[in-house]
Amino acid sequence: MEPTPANIESFVHGRIRAILAERGEAVPHLSGSDKLNATLGLTSLDLAFLVSDLEAELGVDPFAKLVSITSVRSVDDLVDAYRMAFIPHVGPGATNHLDAAAQRADLRRARRQNR
Amino acid sequence: MLTRGGGAAEPASAWGPGEMAETTLPVALVSGGSRGLGAALVTGFLARNFRVATCSRRDSEFTAEMSRARAADFHWAAVDGRDRDNLRLFVRQVADRFGRIDVLVNNAGVASEGVLPTMRTEDIAEVIEVNLTAAVILAQVAARVMLRQGSGCIINISSVNAIRGHAGVAAYSASKAALDGLTRSLARELGPRRIRVNSVAPGYFDSDMVHDMSDEQRQRIARRTPLGRLARIEEVANAVLFLASDEASFITGQTLVVDGGLTC
Repeated sequence: MEPTPANIESFVHGRIRAILAERGEAVPHLSGSDKLNATLGLTSLDLAFLVSDLEAELGVDPFAKLVSITSVRSVDDLVDAYRMAFIPHVGPGATNHLDAAAQRADLRRARRQNR
Repeated sequence: MLTRGGGAAEPASAWGPGEMAETTLPVALVSGGSRGLGAALVTGFLARNFRVATCSRRDSEFTAEMSRARAADFHWAAVDGRDRDNLRLFVRQVADRFGRIDVLVNNAGVASEGVLPTMRTEDIAEVIEVNLTAAVILAQVAARVMLRQGSGCIINISSVNAIRGHAGVAAYSASKAALDGLTRSLARELGPRRIRVNSVAPGYFDSDMVHDMSDEQRQRIARRTPLGRLARIEEVANAVLFLASDEASFITGQTLVVDGGLTC
């Protein structure tokens, strides 16, 4: 399956589930608001592994320049970071409120399409 | 721009990820392997049945010869240590060609001499960029490959100048001491994923870095060294090869000083 903004969520959720499964833990139903650390128990090294894995799978690394990894707290934050990497005009390059609003709309649209 | 050199035959596009990934031979990436300690490390890893990748600013007789004689398991690219994007690209190129990276040796470095108050700012910046920042970037990108493998080994080439103060090498000393700090913290970060990180701190050994010394300077160093001489380059390389081997499987976060006792 080719990664697109609409299906990126399933890639990210799949890798999170794989990490939880590797630890022998019961894999819960993932919610976008789940906190990576507080809810799912992922460590910063788990997150590094996840990002490495997704870079190999998707061919993009949003944390190289676009997004700071420290801003990623929830599953949705992570999904949004990868969506930004796939939607060229979304990201810190947005220079005004209109651009920022357009970014948020794009992200909401992508999320809805995936549901 | 990254370029392949040394007369290697295949075009870059011919290196498919699957092409070499079939072999299980381990892979070592040595920065600055065109001469000196880097070349000795390349030779040592090849002799231990590693596939070896190295980069340097320019090719050399050594890299040209290795590219001819060991085309299947040797990879060289021209990379300037100040070019961060090409450093990242180089690591990915190696992972694509060989399918894995088991060992990274951050060996590339530049020396700088002169007391700090009169050093040119750009010379200070170059020392930090090549000796430290390039090593951090190579470690960062290689660590991602190692994280996916669930194993790996990173060795930073430090210096006795990181341990003892010497006049005239302040910026160089700062860059090497920082590498030792990187070693310890990275060992803690990556240890849980079975990636070991160590430093080797050589004393004075026969290399381009000591060629400019007078005989008197060399004799003075030898007199201060309990073993009474400068190291042979192979003696430093052997310490690195030991840390990269399974013989050192429970050693991480350490700096191994190879100086004939100079700092003891």
